[in-house]
Amino acid sequence: MSRPSLTQSIAGFFTERFPAAKLNWNDLVVKKSVPEHQMSWAYYLGGLALFFFIVQVITGLLLLLYYEPTVSDAHASVQYLTDYVPNGALIRNMHAWSASFMIFFVLCHFLTTMAMKAFGRPREITWLAGVIMLFTVFAFGFTGYLLPWSQISVNATKVVLQSIEQVGQYLPAALAGLPTTIRYAIQGEPSIGQATLSRFFAIHVLVLPLALALVLGLHLLSIQLHGMSQGVDKPTGRLMRFFPTYLMKDLRAWTAALLVLFLVALTVPFDSFLPFTLLQPFNPMGSTPQGIKPEWYFYPVYYPMELLPFWVVMLGMGALTVGLLLAPWLFRGARRRTLAALSGLAALYLVVIILFGHQIYVLVKGG
Amino acid sequence: MKCKMENEKCKVQNVLILRIAFIVSLGMLASGIWAFPEFQAYSARHSGRPVNCGLCHVNPDGPSGNGPGQLGRLTPEEMRRVNQSRGAREPGQAIDNPILNPFGDHIIQAIGTKKLFDLRRDPAGLAPALGFKSDLDGDGIPDAQEYLDGTDPLNPSHGAPGKLLLLNLRWNAAEVLFALLAFGLVLAGLAGVIRRMIARDELEHGSTEDNA
Amino acid sequence: MLENFLFNGLPYLAITIAVVGTVYRVRARRFSYSSLSSQFLEGRNLVWGSVPWHVGILLILLAHLFELVAPGAWRTLLTPRPALLAIEGLGMALAWFSLAGLAVLIIRRVLNSRVQAVTSLMDLALLGLLFLQVALGLGTALSLRWGAAWSTGTVVPYLWGVLSLRPDPAFIAGMPLVMKAHIVGAWLILIVLPFSRLLHLFAFPWRYWFRAPQRVIWSSVRHREAAASLMAAEESRRKFLLGTGSALVGGGLLALLGLDKLAPYLLGPRLTSAQQADLLETRLVRQQATVEQQQLALERARNEFIKVAGLAELSPTVGKYFIDYEMLPALAFLGPNGLPQLLSAKCTHLGCTVGNQVNDGKILCPCHISYFDITTGIPTPGSPAKLPLPILGWLVRDASGREVASRAPGGEVRGQIDQAALPSYSVYIVKPHMEGV
Repeated sequence: MSRPSLTQSIAGFFTERFPAAKLNWNDLVVKKSVPEHQMSWAYYLGGLALFFFIVQVITGLLLLLYYEPTVSDAHASVQYLTDYVPNGALIRNMHAWSASFMIFFVLCHFLTTMAMKAFGRPREITWLAGVIMLFTVFAFGFTGYLLPWSQISVNATKVVLQSIEQVGQYLPAALAGLPTTIRYAIQGEPSIGQATLSRFFAIHVLVLPLALALVLGLHLLSIQLHGMSQGVDKPTGRLMRFFPTYLMKDLRAWTAALLVLFLVALTVPFDSFLPFTLLQPFNPMGSTPQGIKPEWYFYPVYYPMELLPFWVVMLGMGALTVGLLLAPWLFRGARRRTLAALSGLAALYLVVIILFGHQIYVLVKGG
Repeated sequence: MKCKMENEKCKVQNVLILRIAFIVSLGMLASGIWAFPEFQAYSARHSGRPVNCGLCHVNPDGPSGNGPGQLGRLTPEEMRRVNQSRGAREPGQAIDNPILNPFGDHIIQAIGTKKLFDLRRDPAGLAPALGFKSDLDGDGIPDAQEYLDGTDPLNPSHGAPGKLLLLNLRWNAAEVLFALLAFGLVLAGLAGVIRRMIARDELEHGSTEDNA
Repeated sequence: MLENFLFNGLPYLAITIAVVGTVYRVRARRFSYSSLSSQFLEGRNLVWGSVPWHVGILLILLAHLFELVAPGAWRTLLTPRPALLAIEGLGMALAWFSLAGLAVLIIRRVLNSRVQAVTSLMDLALLGLLFLQVALGLGTALSLRWGAAWSTGTVVPYLWGVLSLRPDPAFIAGMPLVMKAHIVGAWLILIVLPFSRLLHLFAFPWRYWFRAPQRVIWSSVRHREAAASLMAAEESRRKFLLGTGSALVGGGLLALLGLDKLAPYLLGPRLTSAQQADLLETRLVRQQATVEQQQLALERARNEFIKVAGLAELSPTVGKYFIDYEMLPALAFLGPNGLPQLLSAKCTHLGCTVGNQVNDGKILCPCHISYFDITTGIPTPGSPAKLPLPILGWLVRDASGREVASRAPGGEVRGQIDQAALPSYSVYIVKPHMEGV
């Protein structure tokens, strides 16, 4: 037999990942089952991330009815929503908390799918779509944070964008100006102002949701076609039907999540964790308050940047991105035990840097 | 040691003292000593949270400058109100100082500028001097306590998170109970439904295929 | 006249007939004291009618009774808004539930031939009366909201008046027709009670609460196994139904509470005119600040020189604030030799605006206490600020526009001031030009 041509290989790759033959009721609905084993609880994490995204879309739409995306009115419109609109404070608080919950569950989902080696053949495209969504979700957090136009909003955004510019010093002379150009393209003008706000608003409200919806559609289609991955080396053989048992359990998890979200949003204002100096409206002619730092989910990148030389962090981020995208091929021969250990280490790092990042910084830099 | 006002010599002495005090305070005005960073510094130290002049002032950077809410930008009428507020040595006067926010106004109204000057040497004493009854933003945490916690006494969504959690639970108790009841019904119902589905799954156990 | 009879006389007539009639019937015609169930004649549709009807109406009547017996407790229970919503919502759902069940019962009784055979005129009249009564109750709830709350102050005192032989229809005199008809309907049902099968109300099977469970023991193995699996299937079916029911009720309550929050949010705040005025004023102030900023920016974009002050206005002890070409605050003093001294007022520590009062040749930044020398801009040792305030360049012109003195930023001072012509001199800042532009 002759070797397949390049076109045939590529075609074969995609037909294996998107088997049209499986697009029938029997395969997709009747026969679909979910394995039950020690790590079965992790199967619900992706669904929970999706649930919180749906909450974000709904609360975001409601917030959109009152928010004004101009430099002079953004902060005031958010204040009006919180102080005067009935249940406005609750909706805003739900949006803020749900953002953190969503990112938390996305990270947990990512760590567990890696540990369960769920990216094995033929699920590589599911994984790639997931990695793209991971970055998209961080972009959501970044762009949304600017919208209230408070001291922390603008200054934290400045901090992140300034770090993009720092890459320039490591590039060859011809490209050295490129990061600055990229930064100006993101900002829309030389310094953060109305152009930046308009841009970030459009990205946060339209571009990213559409992009995420498309990639999510691909991700879910792929999952439905291939079913839930095996998850463990030795399957127990116990199965539950996807329709309706697993779905009902998923719904139960979503209900519990909604309960927790509602109670938390009702009783603990998200703003109370920040010093009030950072919540004041941004004043370009005034002072920069102390304590500016990005949201907790950026700590794993922010604190290393504060503590280590820039090039180390740059290389690390680059390696991590490439590693994530190529994971299905890099770890093709890896055992689940190894992946679980890696995942555990990553989890440990995340927990330590998020909870104790500030203390570590104070310890190293001497306050 | 105060002179009684009946004695003529005493009267002259008192007037002289008042005149000297006036000149001294003018001098203090000239040297900008009407800004009190001691309180804001104490609040930040005691609570461990960053605090700025926005605690009492309209402008978060304080009264000096010509931004909004700062001295450089005041009309003569507004300057008159500022001086009136500075002249309120004793508590009880209604204060509407254009460079102070409602909390700043409240402080002067509650304790007077004389006591305020004394407290500069002991900023911790501001909290007991104000008392723990006033709560301008209505979040359930008294203003003096918010001063100690380094949170915004004019923002009902801002306060020590633990305290706000407990206060809001009590304030919204009915809502919380009904949410628990309604969610409890749904979760219990789903549990029953799921149990039946699992039972059906077990019946069909042998005929489903594995997923690799 | 009619109202007088309906609310003063009818209640007592109804109660008397109900009591006397029931006692007579129980004593004289004991075996007619039954609901005369037609289950053996037609059992399938009966379930769909009887269960919703009885469950619904019993719970509603229980709520009516609770309110009558303990109005204070009822009012307290209904004080929190979610409680009021939940109870009104449940009541509404139960009312529709029972009405639907009753409709099934009526249709069944009229259409099924076997059941027709045992139906009397009184049965039909009773069914009609019950249907009307529930419909009237539903109509009251739909047209006059929060009946659970306002009835404690109107119907409850009226009923207590009736029961204590001091009826006072003033409590319900002002009510709309649908509510009055509902009250009258109740008395009519009481009158009909001893003459119909509604008497089965009093045959409440309370002993069932303590009755020992019945166990059927089959003698044949086949029956035993069949019975066991049937029992298991029915058990799980019961759990499923209960589960679905509970989930639906919970879900309904959640939907109610959620919509209650959403509706006012979408409608927007209802502001008093004082609040509206306050908000407009703050908005106006903010827009004026934006206008000012943009005017400043325009001035700086258009002009090569911007006047800071007349030279005679500057003082060595009190600085004059102005905005420089970078839209940042700056201070102007009168320096040595009558020349101006301009420096940035943005503190190099964290950017607060530095104070303009000079003490001992220094100005103070009040945010974190930094002192800066006004001639050099250098902070005193011990200040949190470490970098000096930039010294700004300036230009002095006389009345005709001729340059008299100048200083380039970071450069030398040129020119001299003629004290005699001082009043005609003005201080300007110069637009910085970028490299290669």
